[in-house]
Amino acid sequence: MRVTQMRQTAKLATRWVRRFWQGLREWCGDAAYERYLRSKGREDAECRTLTAEEFYVEQINRRYSRPNRCC
Amino acid sequence: MKRVLKFLAWVGVALLGGGALATIALTRGEQLNATWFVVASVCCYLVAYRFYSAFIAARVLALDDKRATPAERHDDGRDFVPTNKWVLFGHHFAAIAGPGPLVGPTLAAQFGYLPGTLWLIAGAALAGCVQDFVILFCSIRRDGKSLGEMAREEVSARGGLIAQIAVLAIMVILLAVVALVIVNALKSSPWGTFTLAMTIPIALLLGLYLRFVRPGRVLEASLFGVALVMFAVVAGQWVAASPSWARAFTLSGISLAFVIIAYGFAAAVLPVWLLLAPRDYLSAFIKTGAILCLAAGILFVRPHIMMPPLTKFIDGSGPVFAGKIFPFCFITIACGAVSGFHSLISSGTTPKMILREGQARLIGYGAMLLESFVGVMAMVAACAMPPGVYFAINSPAGVVGSTPEAAAATISTWGYHLDAQTMTNLAHAVGEQTLLNRAGGAPSLAVGMAQIFSNTIGGERLMSIWYHFAIMFEALFILTVLDAGTRVGRFMVQELGGRVWRPLARRSWMPGSLLSSAVIVGAWGYFLYQGVVDPLGGINSLWPLFGIANQLLASVALVVATTILLKMKQIRWMWITMVPMAWLVAVTMTASYQKIFDASPNLGFLAKANSLAAQVSAGQIAAAKVAETQRLIFNQRLDAVVTGVLALMILVLIVEAVVQWYSILSGRREAVLHERPYVATQWAEGFKGTAYGDD
Repeated sequence: MRVTQMRQTAKLATRWVRRFWQGLREWCGDAAYERYLRSKGREDAECRTLTAEEFYVEQINRRYSRPNRCC
Repeated sequence: MKRVLKFLAWVGVALLGGGALATIALTRGEQLNATWFVVASVCCYLVAYRFYSAFIAARVLALDDKRATPAERHDDGRDFVPTNKWVLFGHHFAAIAGPGPLVGPTLAAQFGYLPGTLWLIAGAALAGCVQDFVILFCSIRRDGKSLGEMAREEVSARGGLIAQIAVLAIMVILLAVVALVIVNALKSSPWGTFTLAMTIPIALLLGLYLRFVRPGRVLEASLFGVALVMFAVVAGQWVAASPSWARAFTLSGISLAFVIIAYGFAAAVLPVWLLLAPRDYLSAFIKTGAILCLAAGILFVRPHIMMPPLTKFIDGSGPVFAGKIFPFCFITIACGAVSGFHSLISSGTTPKMILREGQARLIGYGAMLLESFVGVMAMVAACAMPPGVYFAINSPAGVVGSTPEAAAATISTWGYHLDAQTMTNLAHAVGEQTLLNRAGGAPSLAVGMAQIFSNTIGGERLMSIWYHFAIMFEALFILTVLDAGTRVGRFMVQELGGRVWRPLARRSWMPGSLLSSAVIVGAWGYFLYQGVVDPLGGINSLWPLFGIANQLLASVALVVATTILLKMKQIRWMWITMVPMAWLVAVTMTASYQKIFDASPNLGFLAKANSLAAQVSAGQIAAAKVAETQRLIFNQRLDAVVTGVLALMILVLIVEAVVQWYSILSGRREAVLHERPYVATQWAEGFKGTAYGDD
């Protein structure tokens, strides 16, 4: 009984850590390229898929062309 | 039974919040613990979020989770990206939380802790959060359009242009004032200057790594960068201890101003991946970490508040900045209570990434509540130090003198005990030569944070490290605002200039980029220089100017929001944006009028200019100083013109909007909403965004 409970707790903890890690990667932009590769719009678009380097430069050029940091 | 328990729980939260607020407001002459600030603000935020934001979401905006958002309709993996609500909350919060909620409350502490704290809580719940939430909603319904575009479509073409010019003006003043905060924090501080200077090569290193070695691997690069920055903070003490290195990094205010101007120009024209983006990554991690640590530190240390609830300076005679509690408390604290700049973020990236309309409540309203909490913590940090020390750090040399003895003598006459040795010991404890006359809020906040942190970890021994960590944390994200703002300002200049001369609008045209960068840097650099040479420290005139500009932009956003509510036929509920709008218009117009026309030279720009001109005419100014005084006279008149033009532009917009409201209400004009037509969502109910692989 105790072993089962411990296993369940460990499973739950692992799930939470994984979710936190995924969230952190999403928040800071680490997972942006993976998300781009998965995006529906990219699949539909006619233009070629960008490489990781091209995507990174294009993404930050776009992001810093409009107000994105407040006072 | 469950409903009764829920009801009782909310009654308990409300009573606890009310009791804590009453304790803060009514305590006189007894020691007040900072825990009351945390309890009062958190309970008020919970009640506001649970009831007021829910009311706005359901009754006023009628958020519809079945309606497809721009992220679903245009999902391109670039701009339009369906994002998990908590991740987007983090994005949005990191974007809106800048130096404002830290510096504003610190400066407003000169009125005592009470006015600022009440304004932070009430202003956020009733105005700031409402603005962010409603503008976010309006932008979601319009495919993520910007505030300027919405003003053009929903109010008038002139409204759009006014919004655009107002944004550019606020950008210039914002950049000047935040640069001035850095200058005042770093002048004659080799440790702080070295640490901040080191962040440039660290950012460049990260930029090269992220571009060529492991493209886009932000997390690993940032963690490495944060470790290097921490090392730079520690290494700063060795630099300060070495006479030759200390000399190299000891810069005067004017030298620092020119270095920052040159840096701003470089950041605007260099490729964004090289310096700007990696610095932003570093700043985001350190900012989030430091804010969490400050919250934890306050809860752990539970410091006593030493500032009185109200000081004698509510009469307008304050040494940090001039002006009475009304309107200047509400101008000084913009970010943290209500900030027009947020409307640019709420109509920028966030609406293009949101999954469901219903999440606008958490992200728009909730993130602003969190920012308000940051403001309350800054207020606690400022008020937990003895008032004499607070005024010695934040008052300019022109008011309290430049030696510890002179400052102690002057401040003691105000009724706040201070002995010269205290300031000398404090400067020594934080590893600085002096802490006097550091107007701008950053150093006093750093002292407050260092006291809280050192009481948690390390004691007195680590006080100097914590102080310089706090200075680095503030300066780092102020420089990020400076980089990003200069670049965006450059594009705005190109866009506006392109109306007159087309080639200027081409972003890839190098001469146009250099010219527009020089224009924007020259504009804020001029105001910065003006602030640095101002004998009253610059913050006295520049921070109110920034507050006025920011709150005027909030008025623009609330005018747009009110117009949209009217067109949505929500006449009954228009007050939710109209009341804060009326309050902000009253505050900004009063402040603008006083700053321009007040008869006191300490407050009114024109009175100051006339007083200086009279001194020159009467021969009271030494011949060597006449040219400098003429420049000061010109600067005061320029500030008056800038304030007047901004106020006039917003008045024009409001008059246009009111005429339109009257036409719609009287049936002379049809209310035409420019919303995107309804499209039903195709996503399943539990869809949480592509980040989690639920697609």
